[in-house]
Amino acid sequence: MIFYLLLPFVSIILVVLQITLADVLFSGLLTLELSLVVVIYAGFRLDVVKGIILAFMMGFVFDCLSGSTLGLFTLIYLLIYIISFFVSWRIVSEKLYLVAGFSLICSLLESLMLLLLYRFVFEFDMLSNMLLVFVLQAVLISILSVGFFYAMRKVEGLLYGKTMQPPRRTGTGGISAEA
Amino acid sequence: MFFKNYRTVIFVSVTVVAALILLSYSLKYDSGTGVVKKLVMEAAAPVQIFFNASIEHVEKAWTRYIQLVGLEEDNRVLNHKMAELQAELILYKEGYLEAQRLKKLLSLQEEYQHNFIAARVIGKEQAALSKTLWINKGSAHGLKPGMPVLVPLGLIGRVTDVSWHSSKVLLLIDENSNVDVLIQRTRVQGIVRGAGSRGCMVRYISKIQDVKEGDVVVTSGLSNIFPKGLLVGKVSHVNRMDVGLFLQIRVAPFADFASLEEVLILAAEQQINSTGTKAIK
Repeated sequence: MIFYLLLPFVSIILVVLQITLADVLFSGLLTLELSLVVVIYAGFRLDVVKGIILAFMMGFVFDCLSGSTLGLFTLIYLLIYIISFFVSWRIVSEKLYLVAGFSLICSLLESLMLLLLYRFVFEFDMLSNMLLVFVLQAVLISILSVGFFYAMRKVEGLLYGKTMQPPRRTGTGGISAEA
Repeated sequence: MFFKNYRTVIFVSVTVVAALILLSYSLKYDSGTGVVKKLVMEAAAPVQIFFNASIEHVEKAWTRYIQLVGLEEDNRVLNHKMAELQAELILYKEGYLEAQRLKKLLSLQEEYQHNFIAARVIGKEQAALSKTLWINKGSAHGLKPGMPVLVPLGLIGRVTDVSWHSSKVLLLIDENSNVDVLIQRTRVQGIVRGAGSRGCMVRYISKIQDVKEGDVVVTSGLSNIFPKGLLVGKVSHVNRMDVGLFLQIRVAPFADFASLEEVLILAAEQQINSTGTKAIK
């Protein structure tokens, strides 16, 4: 229950933090999308209900605070969560290079969805202007995801004594510390 | 049963559809700032302020650190510069003081119609038995033994030993020094003799003569060595109680013998002849 109570506040803090850091570090040229990394992590480590709610909340808060069309990142994050959830059946989150590759693809996928939306809805072609930015952002998220997954593994180790296993592997509906 | 088996799929589908509806609605109606969005922004504002303040502090600290690094370098350069300028200032000050002293000497030269030779003090001997100066001019510059030596404040002694390029000056306060003087106020004549650290003593003035403390003592010009009227000192103490025929008069020389740096040697007296040209005696 505490997860659902804290989630809106944590989402707000995370999104504000990433906006502030991006502004300080990259002067607004790149977005430091920690929220996307969290969504990917949720796809690997959380059960469906928690993960979906987390992705929805992250996307919605990001929409509200970034000034984008309401629902845009909500939808994108939900789709990325679902993809991550299915990919996690094949990729082990301990293999960080695979996580990095998958995060890179997710970021590019997000950029592709944005490009398509802007192309067909707003009839605005961003590809020529934003290609380099999207690639750089994907690389950045790839690097961030490695750090985040590694840090979270350490945190899990501290909290549970060992790295927790995804619920689908334990056959339960929630997070379990069972091997 | 169906809902129980597929509740997760249904939940996911509902959420995705909700997101799609939200997006479609926003795109179609451009709803602007809704209530939920306002709530999120309200909640985010304090967080944003907190992060901004933190980052501002970090930025300030970093800027201060960078400035401090720069300051250290600046400080080093400025210290170096200050040392150079101080050395330069000391040189200028020294030059200024020297100019002041030379100016006084020059004024003395103009005041007295004499031919002067300026010399620099290159050594001092202030032993118990001998009070002499060593100057950097000698016979090659026209110096001869017996020539009076002056500073702007008055007579300080006479040249005793002369080599080609340096000379010894016997100071007034040397106990071997004797100068024929008179008391300026009463024109009473006497002999000033050196008394070492106590200054000088005027001898051979009778007890019946009027001599008071503060009287100025000048050269009498009776000997051929010192011209008349050169300042010697001031009477600092008169003792009439002592046994004997003469007064015990102590004289404080005008010149400060401890700080002599440049002196003038009175080489010969100038006279202006009838044609207006200067002649040296």
